[in-house]
Amino acid sequence: MKALIYEDEKWMDLTPLTYLRPVFELKCGATNLLEKILPKIHGMETGLWIRDYLAPLIQKKYRQPVNKKDFWTEDIVLVNGRWLAKPADNLTLEEEAIFTSEGDIVYAVIRKETINKFWDGDLYSFLAEIQKSLPAISIQAKIINYPWNLVHYNSEMLEIDFNNKSKKGIEGKVSSSTVVYGPEDRLYVAGETEIHPFVVLDTNDGSIFIDRKVKIFPYTRIKGPCYIGEATDIMPGANIREGNSFGPCCRIGGEVEESIFHGYSNKYHDGFIGHAYVCEWVNLGALTTNSDLKNDYSTVSVYVNDSLVDTGDLKVGSFIGDHTKTSIGVLLNTGTVTGIMCNITAGGILPKFFPSFIWFINGKYMKGFGIETMLETARRAMARRNTELLQEEENIIRYIYEQTQSLRNKYIKKTQR
Amino acid sequence: MEIQEIEKRVKKVVSQVLNVPEDTIKQGSRFVEDLGAESIQSLELVAGFESEFDISMEEDAALNIKTVEKAIEFIKKYVDAK
Repeated sequence: MKALIYEDEKWMDLTPLTYLRPVFELKCGATNLLEKILPKIHGMETGLWIRDYLAPLIQKKYRQPVNKKDFWTEDIVLVNGRWLAKPADNLTLEEEAIFTSEGDIVYAVIRKETINKFWDGDLYSFLAEIQKSLPAISIQAKIINYPWNLVHYNSEMLEIDFNNKSKKGIEGKVSSSTVVYGPEDRLYVAGETEIHPFVVLDTNDGSIFIDRKVKIFPYTRIKGPCYIGEATDIMPGANIREGNSFGPCCRIGGEVEESIFHGYSNKYHDGFIGHAYVCEWVNLGALTTNSDLKNDYSTVSVYVNDSLVDTGDLKVGSFIGDHTKTSIGVLLNTGTVTGIMCNITAGGILPKFFPSFIWFINGKYMKGFGIETMLETARRAMARRNTELLQEEENIIRYIYEQTQSLRNKYIKKTQR
Repeated sequence: MEIQEIEKRVKKVVSQVLNVPEDTIKQGSRFVEDLGAESIQSLELVAGFESEFDISMEEDAALNIKTVEKAIEFIKKYVDAK
């Protein structure tokens, strides 16, 4: 039997986080969703099925075949890339059926005969057909439907991932004046990591996993659960509260709570970020702060596909797309969504939604300096970390630029004089 | 639209965005050197012109315009094409 990890049409409900990546590259805990799914199908020949425009980049990154129509030659287990799989979750492969959780497919076991009957190269129509014709079995599983789900489950997954990695103890260089406040077996400090004097690592309420080549500067407090990815710097005096995932290669300062940062993003300075999801290559200017709780303690609504959706959660921060930058002193409203490659400057009460590639200046949405300038800025930012903007990545960004044009224009019109 | 009308409205937008008196804005005025535009204000100027004339300009070309005179010529092309 083969396995195919796919993304369905609900990737759109996870934008802007999914504009530049498949759903299974979203992070929760210490790893992304794909890393949690792969152990479930260990030993099986595995393929990936994603949006066509992402395929050239993803094929370059992974050894698994991507969007290969001739992959479907035998019995197959289709696994939803939005599945937040836990170590205790197991696949039942004996019977042909669809295994669902609250209406979403978690995985589906498909026999070759069914493939021959329904497979015409279009995954979405194939999923619709098998949902009509195969028995559905309800199981306990978590599916990521909206961006805030990832933040909501982050603390729980951090603990699970820590236990799953089975690493503890100190391999790196830790100052004698660093304090481990809590159980020492809930801490792992990898080799080549350096923890300066006067750092407090609080493991009382959760584990702390500090990966290789991390630097933690003095007067910082880190509360578990927390995962600090490779080559990340935690700046002096940082207040890293519970439930954070960073990196690799982030620079994190100020106060951060229950947030997820993809690699190469910077929150170098003071300012509070809480219950937020920050994609790659984001730069948050000094004192950038997000609200994650409304003053009337009501549930937070968030823009999804240009409509407000009630999250049902009281604490929801910001969702920030790749390559977005904020100026000094930006104050982001509760449940703000910013697309990819936005530039947001401070001033007044900011709106809760910024379409991708928008520039927001003096209370107005603007087109900004254009795609060529934005790409050049991205190249410059990446070169500073010895990284290159791949042609495949540039193609994706240009594609999303075209796809989001009408939404951008709509918002520009809103604030025109 | 006549070129004089475009010039009048361009100067009005420039005056509002850069906060300079209209009568100090000449055709040969340079946005940065003479009128004191910061780089970020060039974005506001483009947005202001688009709003004033109900046009959508190509950003890279629009942001390369350095003088009021060139802006008037550039905008006229879009207005004429409407």
